[in-house]
Amino acid sequence: MSTDLHTLSGAYAVNALSADEARLFDTHLEGCQACRDEVRELQDAAARMGASESVAPPAALRARILAAADREAQLPPRVTSISAAPSRRWTSRLVAAAAAVVLVLTGGFVALQSQGDDSNVVAATVSQVFKASDARTRTVPTDRGRLVVAISPTLGQVAVRTNGLQPLTGRRVYQMWTIHSGTSTSQGVVENLAAGKVMALPSEGTTVAITIEPDGESVHPTTPPIVTLDPQSV
Amino acid sequence: MSEPGLRLVSAHGGADVDALVGRVARGDASAFEALYDELSSAVFGLARRVVRDPARAEDVTQEVFLEVWRKAARFDSALGKAKTWVMTIAHRRAVDAVRRSESQKRQDTKAAMDDVSHDEPADRVIASEEHGAVRECMETLTDLQLESVRLAYFNGYTYSEVATLLEKPLPTIKTRMRDGLIRLRDCLEGQR
Repeated sequence: MSTDLHTLSGAYAVNALSADEARLFDTHLEGCQACRDEVRELQDAAARMGASESVAPPAALRARILAAADREAQLPPRVTSISAAPSRRWTSRLVAAAAAVVLVLTGGFVALQSQGDDSNVVAATVSQVFKASDARTRTVPTDRGRLVVAISPTLGQVAVRTNGLQPLTGRRVYQMWTIHSGTSTSQGVVENLAAGKVMALPSEGTTVAITIEPDGESVHPTTPPIVTLDPQSV
Repeated sequence: MSEPGLRLVSAHGGADVDALVGRVARGDASAFEALYDELSSAVFGLARRVVRDPARAEDVTQEVFLEVWRKAARFDSALGKAKTWVMTIAHRRAVDAVRRSESQKRQDTKAAMDDVSHDEPADRVIASEEHGAVRECMETLTDLQLESVRLAYFNGYTYSEVATLLEKPLPTIKTRMRDGLIRLRDCLEGQR
């Protein structure tokens, strides 16, 4: 590999490359173990420089973040070619999800609904919502392609199939929101277009929207929605 | 050693961040709380330093911890330290936030340079062992290495913007940035 490219490791470690250069360097890293080691060490040093700036955040931020995490689904471990079988963690989570759904179907429904917060059943899968006996579905055209929405009041879930949406270029993602009285609340990013996404069915008067955001998750929408939808109209 | 109003935080004590991230990966909410308590000051402090506006720093901190929660199962401890992983996410998100905000990014050169030479936020509430060690090691960098690293890391400039700001050729800044970080790494390792 050219020594010229290699010397970008410092700028890379402190996020000082343009998006194009960073992509180029990422490709370079895949084939260069020595470069990966160097970047890791320089990132360690940078991280310690960053940590030396510690300032305690306002106390209220803790509760806000813990509550937000409680509403947020976690990604399964990346399945590598070495271990093609799903890892144990993921399997147990699937079992937990199935158990939650069974609980809902066998009469836990009223109790769960009355709690007003069904974050515990967020683990229902997209196809479970689409297959629910009371599922209502609708196809919504957007500038970025076709979105299919399913609502299941008994599961208390909204699911979207996003495989009709265009893949995004650059470091951008589709992110889902609920909008109530002008306030947007993130429902997380669509991590996998082929898989779609499930979220809790919001209360009446709340709209669901999708925006295109920089990679990761934005706290507030930074672009106009490509689609907004009132779940009650599905 | 402790001054009034300062809380001394050990760089090495406290919970094992790698183990906490491992538990967070399994959906352990109490581990996530412990991880927040362990790293929120580091994350918020860095975000605060880069984006400057405290409210935006809170938003960045929230983005960082939610990404950590979401992606904990994707973290591979064989590829690096968990704390570095979190701080790298924090830095990337803070830099993204500051680059999105053109007005902040386009502050004039003079102001940027002043920031570089006077980096002590008025309201620092935590003094860490880390702070002293890092400060000592940063003093071992040449002026140009230090300015290049700081402008990129703490002000969110790309290395080509740093080259323009410092009126130096691009390859010079590129190598100074790398040499500066290597020197910082070697010095910090020597202190362990």
